[in-house]
Amino acid sequence: MSASLSSFRWRSVATTAAVALTLLLGAAAGCDSRQEPDLPSVQEKLRESHIWGQPVLRVGVADDEPLMGEVRDGVHIGFDVEIARYIAASLGYEGEHRIEFVTVSTEDRIPALQGGIVDLVVSSFSITEDRKKQVSFAGPYFVTTQEVLVPNRHRSAIRTIEDLRNPQYKICTSGGSTTEAELEKHQVPTLVVKDVWDCVKGIRAGKYDAVSSDETILAGFVARHPTEFEIVDMPFGTSELLGVGVPIGDPALRDLVAYFLDKSYQQGRNGEASPWQTAYNRTLGPWLRSEKRQPQPLDVPKLVDFDDKAPRR
Amino acid sequence: MSTAAATAEDPDAGRPPSPLPRTPVPPAASSPSATPAGSTTPATHVVPAAASPTRFDGDGDLAERRARASQSFWTAVVGVPAIFSVLRLGIEAGGELQTTLLLVANVGPVNLLAGFLTTAARLLSTVLVAVFALGGVLAVSGHRMRRRPLFARWAEITPSWFVAASFLMALVTWPLLFLPLLLPTFAAAFQLRPERLHERPTVRALVIVAAYAGYLWLLVPTLRDAWRQGEVLPIALLVVPPVLALFVAGPLPRVVIRLLAPVTQLAVLVVLVWAALPVISTPVLPLTVTTVGQPDAASAGAAEEIRGHVVTTDDVNMVILQERGGVRYVPVEHVRGQVLCPSEEELPRYRLRIHDFHVEDSLLEGLGRRVRPVHRVDAACR
Repeated sequence: MSASLSSFRWRSVATTAAVALTLLLGAAAGCDSRQEPDLPSVQEKLRESHIWGQPVLRVGVADDEPLMGEVRDGVHIGFDVEIARYIAASLGYEGEHRIEFVTVSTEDRIPALQGGIVDLVVSSFSITEDRKKQVSFAGPYFVTTQEVLVPNRHRSAIRTIEDLRNPQYKICTSGGSTTEAELEKHQVPTLVVKDVWDCVKGIRAGKYDAVSSDETILAGFVARHPTEFEIVDMPFGTSELLGVGVPIGDPALRDLVAYFLDKSYQQGRNGEASPWQTAYNRTLGPWLRSEKRQPQPLDVPKLVDFDDKAPRR
Repeated sequence: MSTAAATAEDPDAGRPPSPLPRTPVPPAASSPSATPAGSTTPATHVVPAAASPTRFDGDGDLAERRARASQSFWTAVVGVPAIFSVLRLGIEAGGELQTTLLLVANVGPVNLLAGFLTTAARLLSTVLVAVFALGGVLAVSGHRMRRRPLFARWAEITPSWFVAASFLMALVTWPLLFLPLLLPTFAAAFQLRPERLHERPTVRALVIVAAYAGYLWLLVPTLRDAWRQGEVLPIALLVVPPVLALFVAGPLPRVVIRLLAPVTQLAVLVVLVWAALPVISTPVLPLTVTTVGQPDAASAGAAEEIRGHVVTTDDVNMVILQERGGVRYVPVEHVRGQVLCPSEEELPRYRLRIHDFHVEDSLLEGLGRRVRPVHRVDAACR
């Protein structure tokens, strides 16, 4: 009798607790569904960034780097340009009338960002610690190496870094580039010009004997003059991480660019056709000696977007 | 405690109370706690319901109540969506009379009703589930009170198929994260106790443990992600409700019922109003961005993007109710493009998935995303 009484009491208490907890959980679920998301959204970041409300996005690109950024028939084309178009479209700027491509030379990239002439720079911009003090970077979106482009007349003579040090060869590079610093580190005397294109023109005119730059840039010149040049693989030992330059005072825009680069990276990992892969196949892909994949972008913020609920598989 | 005193002499005291009688059987006939408060009369002294002459009167009364309830129900079914829809049009129009009239003239009643059901199905099923679950709990315990609680009376006069249909609607419209809450509410509404699973306690325990383990195994990846992200509420909402379902059926002590009945009735009313506000202000028409410019190609740069809801399009104009207010009549030859955009209310709160189904999607939404998996947010929507 007492056992059944105690059992009934226990059951009564358990029922009360269960009803109370169910009500509590229901109330918590109701309140929770009415709250704003904890994580910032892409829209919020867009509103924080300096481009919010701008009718046109200004992107700094190169116009003299075949395969990466060049102008053909008045239209900007190249890998960097395609990446810039993808980022611009993701930020809400789709179509030629919404993007203004501003030509920036290698040495003008940082001043253009600092001076507010451009909103972004996508122009073979290597991420370095020194540059990080002046501009922000999102990425990397490409990993390349430093190589040397030699004309056919020197293809057997210039094969090593030691050969570059030979005073009889005039080695050319562009000013303000990471290549310039790297060659200096290896005690290679260089002739510094404004753009790599000037070096190539100089070599064809017999003024210089070799040019050193990123493999991606040099591959463009090989594509332009396939019978005149060859890329020589030299062990400079450094990787160039190409990133998208953003004004240092706009962390929201940097976060957005990093988020969209990562979105492309994730698509590629899932075996889907990513915007990066499409850009690569259409431009650089056929001209590089080894196949490249999109590197994982660093410091990617966690943002919520409208397509977060879409199936991943 | 009076309940204890009453049950101490009750030979049926140890037995679980019977499930909620959806057939018109007075609860006093089966419940050990059926005696009036403070009474020492054992439940066995109550005249069996079947033999009672009042049973017939009770049946008649119940039939009449059911008939009245049926009338009220169908009035509500027709009236509430109609009133809500008109209210929504007024809010959609930004409170402007002429704009409201423009919407009334162009939004068909069927579209309006379908739009209302699409956005209000979740709220409607939530209220029904809450009422029936509380009604179940109050009905099995509330007969100790002089006046039976409102929800208990509603639960009793509602046909079982309607209660089941409400739960089914909740099953397909609630976010996956909240679906486990349907287990204790279902058990409460139908007063289902674990004893129904099997008569032998050992087998019963084994079945429950196996089912719960299987359920947790299904959720392990989601729970792990939630733990990593420090999200406590989703863990609680997924893990706890199935356990509550085991204990939620049964009568509550009288003191709890006295408190629970008025408080929950008021709470459901408040929640209904609180949750109805966003439903009323949910747009009736889909959000679009229309690119407008002069028809000649030379002025490609001078395009304007109008964010709003397209009310109607005829041979001459496209009528757009702008998101920030005001109506624009755009000549159709000026329209260059139009895209459908999501609204910020659709942004998810969590980054959690249950086997690739987002926890904030309902079963219907999740299945829909399987049919159309690619979701593209057009640049113009930013």
